[in-house]
This record gives sequence, C-alpha cells and structure tokens, in this order.
Amino acid sequence: MDKVRNELLQGTLDLLILRTLAGAALHGWDLAKRIAVVSNDRLSLKQGSLYPALHRLEDRGWIEAEWGISDAGRNAKFYRLTRKGRRELQAEKAHWLSFATAVQNVLEME
Amino acid sequence: MFSETLHWLRTKCSRLFRRGKAEAALDAELQFHLDQLIAQFREEGVTEREARLGAQREFGNTGVYREEIRDTWRPPRLADLWRALRFAVSSLSRSPGFALLAIVTLALGIGGNTMMFSAFTSIIQKPLPYPGQEALERFYRATPQDESGNFSPADFRDLQRAAANYGEVAAYALSDCSLSEPGQPAEMVSGIRCTANLFKVLGVPSQLGRNFLPKEDLSGNDRVMIISERCWQKRFGGKDDIIGRTLRVDGEPHEIVGVLPASFNDWRHLGWVDFFRPLGFDKDKVADRRDTILRVIGRRSASLSRAQADAFVANFGARLAKDFPEVNAGSSWRADSLASTTHGRSAGAMLKMCIGLSAFVLLIACSNLANFLLARTITRSRELAVRSALGASRGQLLQPLIAEALLLALAGAALAILVAQWGAAWISYRSIGENGERVTLIFNWSVFAWAVGASLVTAIAFGLAPALFALRLNVNEALKSGARGMTGGRGHQRFRKFLIVGQFALAMVLLAGAAVFIRGLDELNHRRDGWQSEHLITGTIVLPAATYPDDERVTAFHRLMLERLQALPEVASASVSLFTPSFNWPDIRKYVVQGRALPPPGHEPTAAVNTVSSRYFETAGTRILAGRSFDERDTATSPKVIIISQNTARGLFGNESALGKRLAQPGSAPLEWAEIVGIAADVKSILPEAPPVSFQIYEPMAQHPIRYNEILVRTVNSAPVSAVENIRNIITALDPDLPVRHLQSADSAIARTNYQTAILRDILTLFAVLGLGLASIGIYGVIARAMAQRTNEFAIRFALGARARDVSGLVLASGVKLALLGSVIGLFGAMASCACSPPETRGCSSTAHRLCLPRRFSWSGSRSSLAGFLLGALVGSIRLTLCARNKTSATA
Repeated sequence: MDKVRNELLQGTLDLLILRTLAGAALHGWDLAKRIAVVSNDRLSLKQGSLYPALHRLEDRGWIEAEWGISDAGRNAKFYRLTRKGRRELQAEKAHWLSFATAVQNVLEME
Repeated sequence: MFSETLHWLRTKCSRLFRRGKAEAALDAELQFHLDQLIAQFREEGVTEREARLGAQREFGNTGVYREEIRDTWRPPRLADLWRALRFAVSSLSRSPGFALLAIVTLALGIGGNTMMFSAFTSIIQKPLPYPGQEALERFYRATPQDESGNFSPADFRDLQRAAANYGEVAAYALSDCSLSEPGQPAEMVSGIRCTANLFKVLGVPSQLGRNFLPKEDLSGNDRVMIISERCWQKRFGGKDDIIGRTLRVDGEPHEIVGVLPASFNDWRHLGWVDFFRPLGFDKDKVADRRDTILRVIGRRSASLSRAQADAFVANFGARLAKDFPEVNAGSSWRADSLASTTHGRSAGAMLKMCIGLSAFVLLIACSNLANFLLARTITRSRELAVRSALGASRGQLLQPLIAEALLLALAGAALAILVAQWGAAWISYRSIGENGERVTLIFNWSVFAWAVGASLVTAIAFGLAPALFALRLNVNEALKSGARGMTGGRGHQRFRKFLIVGQFALAMVLLAGAAVFIRGLDELNHRRDGWQSEHLITGTIVLPAATYPDDERVTAFHRLMLERLQALPEVASASVSLFTPSFNWPDIRKYVVQGRALPPPGHEPTAAVNTVSSRYFETAGTRILAGRSFDERDTATSPKVIIISQNTARGLFGNESALGKRLAQPGSAPLEWAEIVGIAADVKSILPEAPPVSFQIYEPMAQHPIRYNEILVRTVNSAPVSAVENIRNIITALDPDLPVRHLQSADSAIARTNYQTAILRDILTLFAVLGLGLASIGIYGVIARAMAQRTNEFAIRFALGARARDVSGLVLASGVKLALLGSVIGLFGAMASCACSPPETRGCSSTAHRLCLPRRFSWSGSRSSLAGFLLGALVGSIRLTLCARNKTSATA
C-alpha cells in the first residue's frame, strides 16, 4: 500500500499511542519504532509529531511520564498509561472498531 | 486514582513555576530522539551530514512541535487569552488616542465610584474601635421637645445603682477646657468629662499608664487626665515620660495618668477629642435632676437579650418619670445600638447618594465605550467576515473583542485606583481641622476588589455591544458592501442612537440632581436668617472657675473686655453670649406665663435660650422689632428681664402685645418671674436639621453670668486681618492664661463646620461635569461617524449647489435631536429620582424647600440641556467644516 496516501485520520494518533503504551512504559523513540514495526511501516508519520501528542495526553492525565535510563544508557523520558488512560483506550478502541466495521460494511455491500 | 491526580497536579504546578526547567527537559527529550535517529542513519553507512538531514526529515519541524507542546503547558484558554491580549495591545497601540480616551474615561468613572465606596467602607462599614461593640448601646431620654435628649446627673446616678440588672453604664459630657503650659499662650481644646468606667465599658484600656480609678469620680480627686494617642504624639512628641506629667487645665494642675491607644482616634463616636477628665461632680451636682448634660452609654451583659435590655431601659425611664414627674413627666427612655448613633451614620444617606451618582457617571462612561468599541468593530466587520468565512468559530471571532475590552478595563482599573487614592487624599486634605485631625479613608482589599469588580463588570457591559454585533454579522452582506465602506446597518445605527439618548438621559439625571443638591447646600451655607454674618468675627473663651470663682468677677471681666473691644477704631460693636446665632442653641428650657394656669408637668412650652450681653443684638445684626434691647439698666440686682423672639410672642400671646408680660421657669419655688422687655426677630441656624423647638428667648448676661462665652465683634468695614490679632491681644492683655478659640470671621467658622457639605458639593459638581463631558464626547463620536459615512453624499450636495449652512443644519439636526430626546427623558428621571430620595439627602427637610424642587428642575434642566446642545453643535460643525473642505478638495 502507498505510504504517502496513508495520512493518519485525525484523532487516530492518540489511539495508537495509547494502545502501544498499554503494553509497557516506553520513551518516544521506542514508541515510534514500535508503531512503525507493528504497522509494517505503512503509516506515514513524522516522528516528531508524537511529542505534541504525548504532551497533550499527559496534560489530560491519560499517560504519565518519568525520567529513566534508556537501553543505550542515556536519560530518557518514559511514558506509561494511567488508569484513566486505560479506560480511555477501551472506549476509544470500541468506538474505532464500531466505526471501522460500519465503514467496512458499507464498502463491502453487494 | 488519587495519587494520579496528585501527580498530575504536581507536574502542572512544577511547570507553572519552573518553566525553564520544563524547557530544558523538553530539549533533552527531543534531542534524545534525534540522536537515536541520527545514530540509526549512521548505521546505514551514510555521511554525517546526510544522517543529520535524514533525521531532521524523519522527525519533522522541531520548532512547530515545540510550540505545540508549550501550548499544552498553559491552561489552554489562558494561552489563547494571552495571545489575544498581546494582539489587543498591539491593535490598541495603533490607535493610541482612542485607547487613552477609553482608559481615562474608565479611570474617572471607576475611580469616582471606588472613592465613594472607600468613603462608605471607612465611615459606615468599618466597625468602631471597641471590642464587642454589638453589646454597646447609647441611651436616650426622649421628651416632647427632644427626641434624642440626654440625662441629668441624678437620673444617671439612679440608673447606675440599678444597672446590675442590665450590665454596666457609663456617662460623659462634652467639656472643652483651656490648657496653659508654662511659657506658651493658653489655648482651648476639645475635652470630655466622663465617669471613671467609660473606657472600661468601651473596652479600651490605656496603652500607657492606667484608666481612671473609681474614687476619681468624686469631686476633689478629679485632677487627673487621660489623653488621646493623637495628642500624645502631636503635642508631647510621643515621649514615654508623659505619665505623671502635670498640665494646667482650666487653671488647675492635672496629672496625666494614661494614654489611649491609637485605635481610639476614631472620630465617629466621640469626635476629635483629645483630653478626658473624670466628671468630678460635687454633692449638689450629683443630686441635680434638671441639668440634662450627661450622655449615657452602656454595655449589655452577655446574659441579656436585646429585647430584655430594651425592656429594662424603657421600664426604668417610666419609673423615673413616675417618681419625679416635675422634671421627668412625658419623658421616655430607649437604648440604640452605639454603632447606629455615630457621627458617621448621619453621613450615610449622603454617601449612598454619592455612590449612586458615581454609578451614573460609570454608566455614562460604559455606554460611551460601548459606542466607541462598536464603531471600531463595525470598521472591522470586513475582517471579521473574512475570518468567519475562513471557518473561525464564534469564540475565535469574539476573542479579540473581549480581549480588547478586558485590557481597557484592567488598565482603567489600575488608573482608577490611583484616581480614587488621589480623591481620598483630597477628601482627607479638605477635612483637616485645626489640630491636624482629619478623616482618612481606608484602602483595603475590599476597596481594591470593588475597583477590579467594577472594571470587570464594565468590561462585560461595554464589550457586549460589539460582541453581539460580531455574532450577528451577516458575512455575505459584509463582504458585498465592504467595497463601499461599512455603515453598520440600520439596527446598529439604532442601537448607537439608543446609547446616545441613554447617555444624555443619565447625564441629565446626574446634572439636574447635582444642581438641585448643590443649590440646596448653598442655600444652607449662605442662609443668614435673622442675623448678618458680614463683617462679623466670632471666637470662644471659657473663663476658668479658679480665676473667676463668682458672678461678680465674671461680669467685671465681661464689662472690661467689651469696653476695650469697643474702643478699637475698626470695631462697630462687640458682645458676649452663650451661643452664636449661626448654630442651634442646645440650652432648652421650659417656661410658664404669669397669670395663666400652670400646664401639667412635661407639657410646658419650651424655648431655646441664649444668654447675651447688652449690645448682642446690634452686633449679631438681629433686629429688635418692639420694645428695647438689653442695656446698662439690666444688672444683677435690677428686676429680671428677658427678650423673646417674634415666633415666641405669637405662639404664647397671639395678637396681644407681649411687652410687659412675665415668664418664669417652672420647678423653682417661688417662681422667678422675668419681664419681657423686647421682641427680637426670629433667627434660623445654618444647620440643615431644624432645631427641636421653634421658640427663642434671650436672657441678659449681666443677670445670669456664664463662663462659657462666644465673643461677637462687628467691624466697621470688611474685617481687616489685623482686627483678629487686635482682639486676641486685648483679651490676652486682660488675662494671659485665657485662650481664645476659633477666632475668625463668622463665615469661615461656618465653612469649617460645614466642611462635609463643602466636600459633598465639590464631589457633586465633579460628577455632574464628568457626566456631561462624557456624554458630549459620546455625541461627538456619533456625529463624527455620521459625517464620515456621509461624505460622499455631502460632496454631491455641495456639487449640486448646497451651501455649507444647509449641510451643517442637516448634521446638527441629527445630534440635537438625540440630545434633546435624552435630556427630556433624563429630566423626568431626575424628577422621579429626587422625589424618591430620602428627605435628609436633600440637604434640607423643610416643606418649603421640597416645594420648590420642580421649579428648580426645569431651570437647571434647561440650562444643562442648553450646554449639551452647544457642545454637540460646536463639535459637529468643526467636524463638518473639516469634512467639507476635504471633500471639496477631493471632488475638485
């Protein structure tokens, strides 16, 4: 699939971040790599744009951050899902799936 | 959950206060990511430069992200607001004239309002400096003559004995004293004589020394004195060795035993009093049931409810009225809460009126600003329409407008607080008395809150009009008509006209109201009813009992002093009396007429009595209408004589001649009859409140010598400055220990007494001028805009041969019509508001005064609307000529 046409739908980035952080606490670099790997590198995403989103989510209290040591031994900021974030992820995921299903149903009608 | 909230809060707070640190952390975070990216590219074997470029490309624009992130740090609305405020600053600074006008307008409006609020807080709301003041009460003994009468020593003694059921009572009497310190001229000072427990009842212990002791109530032990902190600082330099110092007061040495705390300097209850002495009544005086000189206050015991205390006081008064009917019949007692009886309270109605008027000024300022802002918004409607078409939300459209209003309001509030403080300083300056006492206005948090609150309300009020305009803007229309210049549409024209009419109506209410009050005050100040104040000098002396122990010596001093005063070439006549004609005479006595049945006790006719020397009437300028004045024939040994006022003669004797009739004061046995030898013109004091009794009676000083004397001196021509010095020198030569107080022209004595009225007058004038000025600016704005919009039309008119006069008539008509309509509405408003205002605010409660109100309205109304027209017309025509010139040059 063409990478250029895969601009993220608005609001999707937050969902991706929440979902990715649900597994483990990550810093921005790992997060970017994880998203790229899981999506088979098919989402066109400037890596820097993760940061405003991270800070916004932190501001909303869905994730929280803590400074720690990265694998490479440098200081890095690790983000982790909060309980509120977890609830939000459930809700958003359900919403997204029902939306996607609806779109899919329309596209695949006879 | 809780810990999460806490964490969130903590990060918020730490970001707020450690912005620099947050920036550094963000840098580190982003740099870490970039470094990782660069490292990844490097591993692919590209050059260092390519690795960096690749990393940048992959990461995106760092600056944009950074800005986005920073936005999340501020509360989002605040962030927008901050940007909007910055935008407002730059947009306002592009039209500094408008900004300055708006801010000054607001500052004057809010400043006046805040000043009045500060006065209200300081004078009415601030509690008295007495702890537990809710339990403090002032007692009154109401008689048919005097609603708020005081108590005789014997009545008070009885009350004190029974007071265990009530709490504790204390009494005091105003008693000025003469103070002579070695090597300094003697002077007269305000003083109070009080029971030893006064300060205990008030709950104010001395800050230095002690309070009075119970035994100091007794005559002979009373040579002690407590002074105020103000006096201690000013007169004695605040030295610690003040306790135990001896002062000569009324010719006798008194020891200073205490200094009151600074909080006691409050003028509202006891006035500006610096010297306190025990009452020191001797046995005879304690048993006196006639001389009602004592003011009584009490502290209700905690176990007593207000109603129980009231019942006790009323019952006790009723008992005394029954037990001593010859003096107390018809009297009843009551107790009011002390806070409701202070001097400040009487100013309350005036203050409320001033706050009301200042609110009018503020309203006018508001509508002015609404008008200006609306005009600004209309000129910006094209911009607004474009932004709206580009998808700006309502909030985004309104933001700059709200920010602008808010900015103006805040700047206005800051300046307003300054204005209010200047105003307060000015009031304080105007109230300075001869001992440096002054009214100070407090500026506490509530006053600041008032100013800020008023400015925010104002911002909302005048920001609303442009906001509504922006919301109802029709984008298509705006964009289409944009090319031709915006006129704002019919609805907005109507709205702005409505604002102008409202403004003029408000200004008219303000102006007419102020004019009526000012004229009322002036009339009071200049009322010289039954006497003349020109060329008259007045002053006060009190002959100390130590130097003048008996009547003979007092009379001898009077004779000698008057002889020498009369001998001065510039003096036409001189006299001594108990009171001056300028103020009410508090010496009120009962009288009975010889040859008529005695009325029941308590129902005798009463008269205000003045005791005067022989040339009093010619000195004061009070005419003798029939009979004679007092003269050399009236001495201590000659038959007793009196002079009564015309009103008294009519009231007691109707159409009969009063001359030769005799009056006596009931109570003494046998009655001491005095023959009426003259009828004097009625005298009205300059005070707003009418005296409790309308009858006036004069006794000759020679037959009833009194040590408290008002000196009246009438000079031949306008009193030269030297006359005051000459008078003082004569008295000092007679008795170096004798101070003369308030020696000045009668007019300036009146002005000093009425300083509150003078301040009030200035404030009212200020408000009225402000109101009219602001309304005129408003109408100028409207005419100017109308001109600007119609320049094309005027140019065509000129081109078709219209003369300047035709066009200016057209323009003036529109402004004048608005002003006229507003003025008429305002006139009705003014009449209504004055009819509603309580009588005491009118400065005079007499019916006559009230009756002439409507006539004055029409007069002041017409004058002020005329002023409004003139201003509007002037401004309009100036603008017009400018415009016309521009246009003709443009068409030519």
